[in-house]
Amino acid sequence: MSLNLDLSKVSLRPFKLTDVDDFLLWAGDDRVTQNLRWKTCGSMEEALAFIRDVCIPHPWRRSICLHDRSIGFVSVYPWSGDDRCKADIGYAVAADYWGHGVATKAVKMAVPQVFKDLPHLMRLQAFTSPENKASQRVLEKAGFLKEGVLRKYTYIKGNIKDSVVFSFLSTDEFPHDD
Amino acid sequence: MMERDREESVDLAQISFRTLELSDVDDVLVWTSDEKVAKFCSWEPHSSKDQGIDFIQNKASEFLWGKAICLNDRPIGFISMTSATDKSREKSAELGYVLGSKYWSKGIMSHVVKQVMKVAFSEFPHLDRLEALVDVENVGSQKVLEKAGFQREGVLRKYLVRRGKSRDMVIFSVLSTDL
Repeated sequence: MSLNLDLSKVSLRPFKLTDVDDFLLWAGDDRVTQNLRWKTCGSMEEALAFIRDVCIPHPWRRSICLHDRSIGFVSVYPWSGDDRCKADIGYAVAADYWGHGVATKAVKMAVPQVFKDLPHLMRLQAFTSPENKASQRVLEKAGFLKEGVLRKYTYIKGNIKDSVVFSFLSTDEFPHDD
Repeated sequence: MMERDREESVDLAQISFRTLELSDVDDVLVWTSDEKVAKFCSWEPHSSKDQGIDFIQNKASEFLWGKAICLNDRPIGFISMTSATDKSREKSAELGYVLGSKYWSKGIMSHVVKQVMKVAFSEFPHLDRLEALVDVENVGSQKVLEKAGFQREGVLRKYLVRRGKSRDMVIFSVLSTDL
């Protein structure tokens, strides 16, 4: 599908219950959720409950919007207590918008905002599957540093996965916009 | 011929593991009060017997598995495994260890780690992965893991805060399938 996607119309904002129809389009798509811990949403009711009970109360979750319509998400989950110097970032974009720099744009917008919002944060880390080259490119373009491959690190949907770990520190430089 | 330093060598066959008892407190304090030992640990050196007792009674039993490293049945250090709290990582455990500085550089710790690796995967057959995090400056400890057969996976920058400073940590792992 050829798109004239204007990346300047990509924005981040909190989720609203009225996002439910748009949300279901991508959160109901196995292609989008396959690398996430999220269960694919199977109905409007599930989507509504998920937005209301998970997305809205989340410590830091934003809808990635195109012309203010939800086409994905960026989430940051801070660790607690002594570990609050770290937080995990995750993201996904509707399949129709893959390959146009949307996730990269969203992550680049999220990073400075996250460091402002989480004062104790020193390290933002991301874990991707070694096969998920597109996601690794997002992180590289957003200025994250690849630190290594952690073998049999985590289970996602019942499958043991290696994880490629990336980080962006509060002291790292933001990449220039190309 | 170069003159060797007179050093007490340790017969590794005299090394064993057991649970700590309250009667071990004086031996425990030898390493817990040592600044050289505590330097890369999350705790400040102990200055009172009460802290040693607290470790034996409370902290030592919090681990998935934790044993004193003994030389002729006297504790000279401690080795432990901690389960990850995250359900998605419950088949992973983190190794931690500490040894009295008098016993460093004698091959004791890598010998101990090799034994514990086998124990880990046989006593906890659900485990896929044993990992360890070592401060980038703690070269001695990195060598212990390399000698024991762990694989170095990378450096996690500013991964944790210790005594108010953020630290880069080297992450190592051994898998049940590596053995």
